[in-house]
Amino acid sequence: MNSFKACSGFINGLSLTGRPGESQDTMHAMMTVKHTAAWALLLWPCLFTVSVPLDCKDEQVSITRCPFISQEKLLDRVIQHAELISRISEETCSLFEEMFVPFPLRLQRNQAGYTCITKALPIPSSKSEIQQISDTWLLHSVLMLVQSWIEPLIYLQTTLDQYDNAPVILLNKTKWVSEKLISLEQGVVVLIKKLLDEGALTASFSEQSLFQYEPAPDLLESVMRDYILLSCFKKDTHKMEIFLKLLKCRQTDKYNCA
Amino acid sequence: MAIHSLSCHLLLLLLMSSLDGLIKPGSAFIHDWDQRASSVTLEPHITGCLSRDQETFRCWWSPGNFQNLSSSGALRFFYLKKESPNSQWKECPHYIYSNRECFFNMTYTSVWITYCMQLRGENNVTFYNENDCFSVEDIVRPDPPVNLNWTVLSISPSGVSFDVRVKWEPPPSADMATGWIRVHYELQYRERNTTKWEALEMQPQHQQTIFGLHIGKKYEVHIRCRMIGFKKFGELSDSIFIEVSEVESTETTFSFTIVVVFGIVGILILVMLIIVSQQHRFMKILLPPVPAPKIKGINAEMLKKGKLEELNLILSGGGMGGLPPFAADFYQDEPWVEFIEVDAEDTDSGEKEDHQGLDTQRLLGLPQPINQPMNIGCANTISFPDDDSGRASCYDPDLLDQDTPVLVTTLLPGQPENGEALLDVVGGTSTPERSERPLVQIQTTGPQTWVNTDFYAQVSNVMPSGGVVLSPGQQLRTQESTSSTEQEETQKREKDSEGEEKKEQQFELVVVDPEGHGNATESIAQQALTTPVSPIPGEGYQTIQPQQVETRQAAASEDNQSPYVGPEFPMAQFSVPVSDYTIVQEVDTQHSLLLHPPPHQSPPPCLPQPPPKSLFGMPVGYITPDLLGNLSP
Repeated sequence: MNSFKACSGFINGLSLTGRPGESQDTMHAMMTVKHTAAWALLLWPCLFTVSVPLDCKDEQVSITRCPFISQEKLLDRVIQHAELISRISEETCSLFEEMFVPFPLRLQRNQAGYTCITKALPIPSSKSEIQQISDTWLLHSVLMLVQSWIEPLIYLQTTLDQYDNAPVILLNKTKWVSEKLISLEQGVVVLIKKLLDEGALTASFSEQSLFQYEPAPDLLESVMRDYILLSCFKKDTHKMEIFLKLLKCRQTDKYNCA
Repeated sequence: MAIHSLSCHLLLLLLMSSLDGLIKPGSAFIHDWDQRASSVTLEPHITGCLSRDQETFRCWWSPGNFQNLSSSGALRFFYLKKESPNSQWKECPHYIYSNRECFFNMTYTSVWITYCMQLRGENNVTFYNENDCFSVEDIVRPDPPVNLNWTVLSISPSGVSFDVRVKWEPPPSADMATGWIRVHYELQYRERNTTKWEALEMQPQHQQTIFGLHIGKKYEVHIRCRMIGFKKFGELSDSIFIEVSEVESTETTFSFTIVVVFGIVGILILVMLIIVSQQHRFMKILLPPVPAPKIKGINAEMLKKGKLEELNLILSGGGMGGLPPFAADFYQDEPWVEFIEVDAEDTDSGEKEDHQGLDTQRLLGLPQPINQPMNIGCANTISFPDDDSGRASCYDPDLLDQDTPVLVTTLLPGQPENGEALLDVVGGTSTPERSERPLVQIQTTGPQTWVNTDFYAQVSNVMPSGGVVLSPGQQLRTQESTSSTEQEETQKREKDSEGEEKKEQQFELVVVDPEGHGNATESIAQQALTTPVSPIPGEGYQTIQPQQVETRQAAASEDNQSPYVGPEFPMAQFSVPVSDYTIVQEVDTQHSLLLHPPPHQSPPPCLPQPPPKSLFGMPVGYITPDLLGNLSP
């Protein structure tokens, strides 16, 4: 956690301002993305530390750092996290859309539905399918989603810093979500261990990172890519929220939740 | 033929392409659901898609102005589910031609995946708007809540406004139990016959309170909801009507006022009964008697009759009226309070020395009960016994020589007159500030007896406010001896010196300023002690063999011992009851009090030359703070 903070802080500190004088569009705030790309690549190993979940049982000082919490409470807290993250991600997306995306292009997010980074994950998306999968699969899906979004959010923070007139609230929200996502990951890991009695999870997704960073050819492309990234994130957080709530329903009242 | 059909197609294509330009860019239904553009668009198009519960959805289309395609079946509905780059267009799973609707059931509905819709006519003519793509969660508009009802929560005391609580149930179509959908509700209300709706804050509970509605007016209320995090509201529910008439409110206030009125009347009647029946017990409870100011032995009528002299007599405590001496009566129970009482009988000679002698005799010789006030010879004739020992009138500043020994008394700090008297007694020096009452303590010497110990009161403690607590003197007291340092005492002008216990073989004159001027334990003219050596017979103090002296400062002593100087008196050897006080003999260059004067067995014929540091003209053992400055060499 500390290393992640150090890394993200370092990355944030590299915020580069746009060239003064370019002011045609709101999108002209972008910087040379290549710089950030280089930095991101250099600091790539930092991100690996993020995806390792905190394992209370393995540490000897676990008692002080991992106070006992009941399963229901833990699940409630995880759901709270997920709901909050979903709401904030929606607000972030709308804010970004209002500020940086011209009106005609706003529908492109729907067009690019299949380019979301998590498309490859074997996660069901219809209610009928979702109702049929097991608890294990629900939790693992959530974990996969969370873990695959940690990196892109860090990237998003850096890019958003480069927008010239990005409102502070946008940056703050992104940062907040990024942090909360990590807590959520930890919570889900503990939940998996408690509910499913599984052993400690190792870093499962860090090797094959779904997020491939490519420098965008021009400003508009970067903006659109960020926009699509935010919309995909919004969808995925919505998915996480629903999965977790379904899980809770199953825990409390198994027969009505089909 | 072929050319004709080809040209027809071309024409159609041209027409369509030209019509394309007329289509408003971005006018997908997803944005223009509520504000349909005027039908500039002529071609068949999707009018809208809607999901009620995020589990199914349906889409509608319209043939536009193409009347030839308006027949059912002429247009076919296709959708694309963008799950992979290889997705294919598929036809509508369930047609409802009467509505021109395509219904997607649960199997075909996937959330979070983009759907695109298009219409196809004959010959693979497609009417496709790229913008008609959406994701199911974005088109969810939940059904309105059901079972709206209201109850009155409270009515204002003034009967003008009331609050109402509205309750409802979530829409049955939305699966909120499993958490599939999470909604916020928005309640709107308006007064009947107005046009503007007031909207309350959105919240997820199944009830809400409307505050501040007016009694007698009709209100209309309806509600709608939307998914949290999304923009589209569902439909509005049916309205319910709220009205509260005025009758109810007045009833409650009426009964309330009646109860209050009856209560008040009842209490009044009870009180009146009590007063009228003159039950004294109750009267005392209700109207306790007010004590009138009275002085014992004095009848207010005396004043009226003008008997002022008698009144004065009585007040002053002369034996006639039986009025006890005021001060003594007041302090009768306080053994540590002593007063100097002016004794009129002793004023027979005006000679100072005689007075001195009288005084000293009294001081030194005559045993008297402790608690009785002492008499001091008073030069001036006193018309009546003066109980207040400190009467200024009693004492003439000229009475005493400057070198006469200090007549030391400890006095109650609260009595200015005492202080003045003391000053006068003590010394001929004018003490400019009569208001200050340095309190003098004189330490006893060793085993010499004390003078009339009751003449003096010993300061046993000094209060933080500067007041002095006195303890009555006792005749005899065993000596305690401790050693102390003069210097400490001289240097300190505070109470710490009080803490010091007996001094050994030292005389120390301690001046405590009851007004708290640093509580000066001042060394005083020690010469007081040298002066006692002077041949003034009246002096009560002499340099004494320094012996075990108890220096009793203000604080330390708790004994009932008289603080007295027990100088060696040529007249007698006194067993010194209390060696609490010492007379400061001299002040040396370092501002230290010397309490061991060279013992003078016999009073020197003349006053010893006071060391330069001594106070000039200051009676021994007595110093006022303003004169302290003179102490410095």
